[in-house]
Amino acid sequence: MRSTRLPILVVLLAIAAAIAWLTLTHRAARNGETIAIYYTKLDGKALGDVRVSLRPPQADESATEHLHNTVLYAAVQAVAGPPNEIEAIRFPPGTRVLGVAVDGSTATVDLSKDVESQAGGSFGENGEFKGLVYTLTGIPGIDAVQVTVDGARLETLPGGHLELDQPLHRSDW
Amino acid sequence: MNSINRFIARTGSAAAAVLVALASAAPASADAPLRATYQGQAILFTHVASTSGAIAIGVNDPGFQTLLHDTGALLTWKPGERYVLLTTAVPVVVTFALGDGRYDVGQIALQASFAPYQRGDEAFLPFNEVLRALDLALRQDGRAWVLQPQLASLDVRQDSGHITLFAHGGAPLRPRIVQQSPSSITYAFDGVGTTLTGLRQINMGGVRTIEIATSGTVRNPTTTVTVALVAGAVVAPPRNLDDRDVTLAFGAAANSNAAANPNAAANPAVAQEQQQQAPSPESSAGAAAVTGVTIAPAADGATVTIAVNGNAAYEWHRLRAPDNRFWIDIQNAQLQGAPIDQSAVGPVLSVRVRQIDPQTVRVALSLDGQKSLTLAPAANGLQIGVGSQDVADAARSGTGSFGGVLASGAQTAAAVTPAPPGESGDYWNSTAAGGWKFGPRGTYVPANPRLIVIDPGHGGSDPGSMRNGVREADITLDVAKRLRDLLVARGWQVKMTRETDVDVYQPNDEAHEELQARVDVANKNGARLFMSIHVNAFINSGPYGTTTYYSKPEDVAFAQYMEKQLAADGTKDDGIIKSHLYVTLHTLMPAVLVETAFLSNPSDFALLTSPAWRQKIAQEMADGIGQYTQAYPVPNQPPQ
Repeated sequence: MRSTRLPILVVLLAIAAAIAWLTLTHRAARNGETIAIYYTKLDGKALGDVRVSLRPPQADESATEHLHNTVLYAAVQAVAGPPNEIEAIRFPPGTRVLGVAVDGSTATVDLSKDVESQAGGSFGENGEFKGLVYTLTGIPGIDAVQVTVDGARLETLPGGHLELDQPLHRSDW
Repeated sequence: MNSINRFIARTGSAAAAVLVALASAAPASADAPLRATYQGQAILFTHVASTSGAIAIGVNDPGFQTLLHDTGALLTWKPGERYVLLTTAVPVVVTFALGDGRYDVGQIALQASFAPYQRGDEAFLPFNEVLRALDLALRQDGRAWVLQPQLASLDVRQDSGHITLFAHGGAPLRPRIVQQSPSSITYAFDGVGTTLTGLRQINMGGVRTIEIATSGTVRNPTTTVTVALVAGAVVAPPRNLDDRDVTLAFGAAANSNAAANPNAAANPAVAQEQQQQAPSPESSAGAAAVTGVTIAPAADGATVTIAVNGNAAYEWHRLRAPDNRFWIDIQNAQLQGAPIDQSAVGPVLSVRVRQIDPQTVRVALSLDGQKSLTLAPAANGLQIGVGSQDVADAARSGTGSFGGVLASGAQTAAAVTPAPPGESGDYWNSTAAGGWKFGPRGTYVPANPRLIVIDPGHGGSDPGSMRNGVREADITLDVAKRLRDLLVARGWQVKMTRETDVDVYQPNDEAHEELQARVDVANKNGARLFMSIHVNAFINSGPYGTTTYYSKPEDVAFAQYMEKQLAADGTKDDGIIKSHLYVTLHTLMPAVLVETAFLSNPSDFALLTSPAWRQKIAQEMADGIGQYTQAYPVPNQPPQ
């Protein structure tokens, strides 16, 4: 018996050490499900993605609330964009998600007024919202995204080009 | 020729760092304010609580908000929400959930020292975990506290005989070379401390070891990185990727570098047929034996077969464009024989096989693009199908298993689809993206088939983009007038949405009123075509080129004819792009919006400010309209 216990103990210790290492170094431990956060590349067309973990629902979190939380999580990630080392069309600095709401299969994302500080041209607007819409419609149960700014629905951004009055779909691109 | 061997020099003291962080959290007694110095500035944290021996910080704390502002971070939370999200300057989103000890950093799930909670209308977060996400550490200096920026990571990447260190800091990194000799070099990073201290063996790419140490005071720390070199190693100057990210690069001496790539000049034809033979009987019990690799051309691309005796699980990863490498780690496996290096001609440029640790064999492929990949068990191991076409959204990682006797549940081929169903291929292809939201407005017949409406973008109270006193509204009007004159000379009727620098609807109107007024000019006059002229811009000077946007099915052909003419306009051709633009969406007739060039790019700027160039693009637009209307005549109307 002794001769079998020791190797098992060694293996268990090794596993424990490995888990501790992976956790403490912020690396490698990819737990469970992930979702894709899309961004538009600098050609103005192609999408790239980074994957982030998708939290499982907590014990007291209903399916409805979990969908809401997942949409909030994905929207914040999409507005943040990928790490700076990745070239991407990005929302104007300071743009933040003020809140989200889910109604049926439409997710409403309320953005701060910083989103209105566009550089001009269709390039930024097109790329920013394309990434946001692709990200949120990648969540099962969501197929459209309504954008509001500071709580208000608007037809376009000031001096803008993109129509934002109606929910946006992947088919708009 | 690229090989991959990425590992991380987050040395073993990370565990100690956490223990130190937890221990250092203790002195703050419950709910006592905490005064800490950050970059020479005192910050008072008043919404603090001691929880499980660690500090909890309230999200409404004025000091905390100052810290977030100063570090370029954003916090997303409001009462009633379960998730508290912190976007760092990197940016990385750190997600906490009230009542849950788990927190997520990008793709990584971690355990916090306590679960965040809500008290009154305020969420309280574990402070040390928040600080770690901000690349800061709370340090004691006598009786005072200091928020010390950290050298947060030093990642090591080995690539074709080169070693590159990627340093990331919680403050701007300005490495100073404090010592250099043929056998070592020491960099000092002033202003950052670290918990990554220790010695790491490298023994590759001209680098023997890396040693990280700290010195100085809590308030003025210095972290030193000493790299011990092989004789003759090449040292590149430090390079800042941005303020907080620096690379330090090293190469082996010229002769050993060549030795590292013995197959660099190998005949591809030979390499493709080459099969590494190696004895396998002595493979250790239970471990799979990797015996060789073959690259063979296939009908569409190439097939790489990894010969393996035994069962094994594997994990694969691919890097992002433009880094077209892909690797598979075969677990519990032994490489029989020498390391393998093969080169070939596309789509697989090279294959390298190495025993990267006692249990893992890594097969690294360098491809000539972001190719589609399929992995499937084969009779003698694992087969990788590499397609000849680039895929827009390749999957980045996955796992699988193979072997003579597969575990139950793993009987099927572990195929790797490059993208989820319905998301593959070219996103720009409207079919792949899900088709059209609106069907073609097939009933539209222009009341005036000789009328073209030209829309010079912006104007009046809206100047559009601006650079060095040049306004988009002026350029669009100038190009529009040139186009009008050319079209009129060819017998077209032309209506402009504006002829001077004015708002089309009214001054200071809402953007959509303005855009609808432009659409109305075309719709109410029964125009044949609508042509909106704009100038692009971006927050940095990188992007340049001409883009033709469209929105409706009936716009496509017009956009294609327009783009074909504009392709040779002297800047980059960015093609046609479908988008949800107001004016192209709401016009009844075929419509395009041309973003002529980028005001924010210096070479495009030079073009935009040249009258000759503006004449040239107006000419190309006129030609595009002419060719489109010849190819698509209005029924019962003579072609123009």
